[in-house]
Amino acid sequence: MNGRPVKIALRGLTKSFGKKHVLRDLDLDIYEGESIAVIGASGTGKSVLLKNIVGILTPDSGSIKIDGEEVTGLSGNARDRVNRKLGMLFQGAALFDSLPLWENVGFGLMSAHGVSRADARIAAIERLRQVGLDEDSADRFPADISAGAQKRVGLARAIATEPEILFFDEPTTGIDPIMGDVIDKLIVKSVKELGATALTISHDMDSARRIADKIAMIHEGKIAWVGDVAKIDNSGNEIVDQFIHGRVDGPMSASLLGTPAA
Amino acid sequence: MSLIPAIGRVFLSFLASTGRLAMFAGVSVSHIFRPPFYPHLLLRQIIEIGYYSLPVVGLTAVFTGMVLALQSYTGFARFNAEGAVATVVVLSITRELAPVLTGLMVAGRIGAAMAAEIGTMRVTEQIDALSTLATNPYKYLIAPRLLAALIMLPCCVLIADIIGVYGGYLVAVHKLDFNPAVYLKNSWQFLELVDVISGLVKAGVFGFLIALMGCYHGFYSKGGAQGVGSATTNAVVSASILILGFNYLITEAFFSQ
Ligand SMILES: Nc1ncnc2c1ncn2[C@@H]1O[C@H](COP(=O)(O)OP(=O)(O)O)[C@@H](O)[C@H]1O
Ligand SMILES: [Mg+2]
Repeated sequence: MNGRPVKIALRGLTKSFGKKHVLRDLDLDIYEGESIAVIGASGTGKSVLLKNIVGILTPDSGSIKIDGEEVTGLSGNARDRVNRKLGMLFQGAALFDSLPLWENVGFGLMSAHGVSRADARIAAIERLRQVGLDEDSADRFPADISAGAQKRVGLARAIATEPEILFFDEPTTGIDPIMGDVIDKLIVKSVKELGATALTISHDMDSARRIADKIAMIHEGKIAWVGDVAKIDNSGNEIVDQFIHGRVDGPMSASLLGTPAA
Repeated sequence: MSLIPAIGRVFLSFLASTGRLAMFAGVSVSHIFRPPFYPHLLLRQIIEIGYYSLPVVGLTAVFTGMVLALQSYTGFARFNAEGAVATVVVLSITRELAPVLTGLMVAGRIGAAMAAEIGTMRVTEQIDALSTLATNPYKYLIAPRLLAALIMLPCCVLIADIIGVYGGYLVAVHKLDFNPAVYLKNSWQFLELVDVISGLVKAGVFGFLIALMGCYHGFYSKGGAQGVGSATTNAVVSASILILGFNYLITEAFFSQ
């Protein structure tokens, strides 16, 4: 696509938990500088996919290449070296609740990039400002702020080290539509400014349309459809149609009824 | 009919969790020695484990020393061996009671706190967040705790030795009318360096076990608040049992000819 190199290449990715087969032989290419949204029903393995890529989970089989380098099975320093290229916003924000907000945001700079505390604080306050939090909030703790603000701090933490690849796991789920809109805009802006490759997980079509250039639909452990955002309404794919129109009847329902949502 | 497979399964899962614990301990210990180091985290744990445990450790030791003097006096008076009270107090405290009781008290305090803190970080994905920030959770969370407990438990026990002996002295002199100078002389006379050293070695081992159990159960906890709750319980129970078991093994290693 446009002659751009592939940033993340997934081949035959398979992951089961006991008898539960979550990812089954999944293939996906993500090109450098593109922003892709992975959509799909709850419990279809979107978070599991992301956790495999960032090394929190290890796939049962298959290959994950980042910049052409095989990263499955990396651990310790080798994994940390790869992870310096990426930033992630967790579904539940996952802020460090023992640290004030500025240390959360500056954590990666101090811990993995050798930036001093004083400089990290300055950089963190600037990032907090970018996501709409003032300097006074820098010394507050995650427990003292709202869920929407926590997501924004999580976003600030993910972009603080200016990573090449950004992962966002349901950035707008569980927060009100107005704040969701704000966060979507922040994501688009951050990705543009950093020139990063971005993978956003969502089950909200509107949000996915706003954030991404490209959409991939996950269904029964595979990518059922992938294409440009503009083409999603005429995908000719029954699964995609059912999902974007929120219909109860269709090919998705059979597998969903057998699968408790997570 | 299905008994043998059931036993087999229990045995296999026992082996699996023992193996997992051994791996966990090995990886964590290796990170104590490999840079980058986090001195401020070590210092925070040293203060948490050493300094904030002192009130509990001191109270445990003073009452233990006091009751020991009283008990051995009433026992030894039956065969006119009251003179041995000082020796019994100092040997019991340094060899056994200070390390074991300090270990058990700190297990309740520190082991539980570690399991709860790390367990909460696990179930709220904070540990996963650490690794996406290119920070090794073993190095950042586990290694400082293991090292701090290994260093600070012997310090606590040394203080408990002194306070415990002093508790015995108080009861002996003020309640049982011992001569202070004679009591002190008897305390010193039969005390050997190995008595104190063996207690400190025990303390180091207990400290390591307490932190290991707290971190391990926290690290592998799952299933939300309930999972963190059972991790906390398991950390304290398993640390306590290991302390009593290792206490016997170390005593045998030091004192059986
Ligand atoms: N660590 C785990 N252990 C066992 N099952 C898991 C684990 N993580 C996820 N699952 C299961 O995998 C399925 C997909 O989960 P997930 O990727 O979180 O879904 P979603 O697409 O909503 O993000 C769910 O059914 C969930 O129960
Ligand atoms: Mg999810």
